[in-house]
Amino acid sequence: MNLPWDELLLAVALAAYTLGALALTVYFFSRDESFRKFGEPLAIVGCAAQFAQLAVRFETTHVWPLLNLYGSLSLFSAMSVAIFIGFAVRYRLWFAGGFVLALAAIFLAYGVTWYEGTMPPVPSLQSYWAKIHVPIVVSSYAAFLVAFVFSCIYLLKYYAQRARSAATARWLESLPALPQLDVIVYRAVAIGLPLISVGIITGAMWAHEAWGAYWQWDPKETAALFSWIVYLGYMHLHTRNAWRGLRTSWVSVIGFLSIIFCYLGVNIWISGLHSYKV
Amino acid sequence: MARHVTAAARALYADVVLTFGNVLFAVSLFVVWGILTLIGVIVDQGQSPDQYVQTYAPPIARAVLRLNLDNVYHSPWYVGIIGLILLSLAVCTFKRVIPARLPPLRPVKVERIPLHGLFETDGGERSVRERVAAFFAARGWRLRRRTFDGAEWSFADKYDWARRGVLVAHAGFVIIAAGTTLYWARGFSGELAVADGATSQVARTGAVIRLDDFAYRIAPTQTKSGMVYQPIDYVSHVTVSGRDGIARKMTVRVNHPIDVDGTLYYQASYGFGMRFRLERNGVSSSALAGRTLLEGDSFDVPGTGRSVLYERFVPTVDRTSGMPTADPRVNDPAAVVAVTQSGVPLGEVMLPLRGALDLGDGWRLIAQRYVLYSGFEYRHDPGVPLVGIGAFVLLAGLVISFYFLPARLYVRVDDLGSGRCRVGIAATTVKGYDVFESEFSRLMVALKACTS
Repeated sequence: MNLPWDELLLAVALAAYTLGALALTVYFFSRDESFRKFGEPLAIVGCAAQFAQLAVRFETTHVWPLLNLYGSLSLFSAMSVAIFIGFAVRYRLWFAGGFVLALAAIFLAYGVTWYEGTMPPVPSLQSYWAKIHVPIVVSSYAAFLVAFVFSCIYLLKYYAQRARSAATARWLESLPALPQLDVIVYRAVAIGLPLISVGIITGAMWAHEAWGAYWQWDPKETAALFSWIVYLGYMHLHTRNAWRGLRTSWVSVIGFLSIIFCYLGVNIWISGLHSYKV
Repeated sequence: MARHVTAAARALYADVVLTFGNVLFAVSLFVVWGILTLIGVIVDQGQSPDQYVQTYAPPIARAVLRLNLDNVYHSPWYVGIIGLILLSLAVCTFKRVIPARLPPLRPVKVERIPLHGLFETDGGERSVRERVAAFFAARGWRLRRRTFDGAEWSFADKYDWARRGVLVAHAGFVIIAAGTTLYWARGFSGELAVADGATSQVARTGAVIRLDDFAYRIAPTQTKSGMVYQPIDYVSHVTVSGRDGIARKMTVRVNHPIDVDGTLYYQASYGFGMRFRLERNGVSSSALAGRTLLEGDSFDVPGTGRSVLYERFVPTVDRTSGMPTADPRVNDPAAVVAVTQSGVPLGEVMLPLRGALDLGDGWRLIAQRYVLYSGFEYRHDPGVPLVGIGAFVLLAGLVISFYFLPARLYVRVDDLGSGRCRVGIAATTVKGYDVFESEFSRLMVALKACTS
């Protein structure tokens, strides 16, 4: 099927993310405001182009566009950027945009490699739950991506500070203080954890309708449960002063790796009820 | 002696409470729970022992089988860790969450609390106190006054009710566990396959199901990698009699189960049964008369020691190569049968419809016709409403815990004389100080402006 608008919007999104990532990465290191002013609109344009692309795909094919890896990865990168933009505007965090946009571009480009064309959904995916469960779960992954990026920045700053290099001292000062970075990670996880909880619950409700049991110990379900446990651990550890900050940042990093395993690893490498790749 | 035992029991109880009430212990349990869950993701569950021996190195395969890692989610380890988590959750709830829910009103050393502010302002003590009270009341803070050792303190609380968020989340977890237990205790599930036109009774429920018709639809779709035969519909038209004995016509589809007397029936699978004719020297044998074999069924050839297994149905055979194609639609069908002699495999044959296989000793097997069958799953789960309620409660608890930050302000106004007062404010939250720092700063700026 010829989808010129679809492909055009995809190209716009990829180009905007790539250029935006470059500009905001330079801004991260240089703090030259002109790069921020260049990167900000690119992030917004790329994100808007992606949502428009998903809408165009749905309008053109009449198939819910999130039912394969290409579609869900598209939403994942779009939601990652959207959540980041929300954080960046609210808390002035554009300095981290380069990493978020780079990851969004990588995931989007990777998703394109799985695109096989438009296919009608299999019977188990023909449900209104597809319009509820999938966006919620993918949005939770996106929130965890944002948490992951800020955890990495936290760890970068923490270990750079410990190294006490005179060359980086001034640059480190331009980053928010460690407790502030920790609060940002916490806020992102506080979006992701309720969303993944709702995602697991709606998934269970869908499974109850489609497969006869709300929980089948399918690899995808259990991998999601594993990620949920990791972030539950994060939240519990965050209540302890001694664990808040460095250790919880590491838990957030592990949590996102578990999300990637749950999202891509299980879909691609492990067969189960959720093996919807193309 | 009795007193000694009581003291020992008390000490043990205190130790258990101390251990299980520790958040780090709870997190340690999460780590074990997570590892066991991950093992279940990586190690294929519910396979035969041979499968593990073939897949893994011998020591790993032995460990998988001996430690019940082949069915980890129902292993004593898994059930045990969930039990320990529930115990930890209960102890934490009663020893930490409930007591911390409503902290007592008592004075603090303002300067010692990391989040604090001090400023001086004009006005008498009473007037400043009233302005401070009006400031917090206008912003939705609940203000209470108490006097300690002659000094008056004001305590301002916001989202006090949200202190119950963790309690609500814990309660949700317990309700889910109760719902799951209810299924284990009172629920049941099973599978049944019904051939087109046949009737089957579910022993557990007494429901009688007749499959009037089963249909499936496949959409051949050209993709970048080639032709894909995408299934788009499986539908069973059935006549069902429940407890009341009244026959009802119903339709079962994927995502659209039917409810018969509280038991749900799901469209789970489909397949092709085969009607074979077994004959010897051209005379039909009664061994298979009127019998439809489902994939995986086998029968013995009388007096030969031979067995025939109907392995699978091939919907379309490529006429030129004679090999099965990927097309699941029935065009040129065949049945794959495997023959064994006293348990020793003799071979596997693809037998075209109406084709014959020579079984030796004058026996012939003829594939007469195929019959579609529909696979149903049934499940009676009285725990579903509880699990649903538990999930909702858990979610409500998480939302309350994450999006409403209960904070308490300790306010003290000291008269400095000469018409001036010093206002000291300290803040505590259930999530530490950093998370409230910016809001506290804004609050202090606004309060200074308001009282000056």
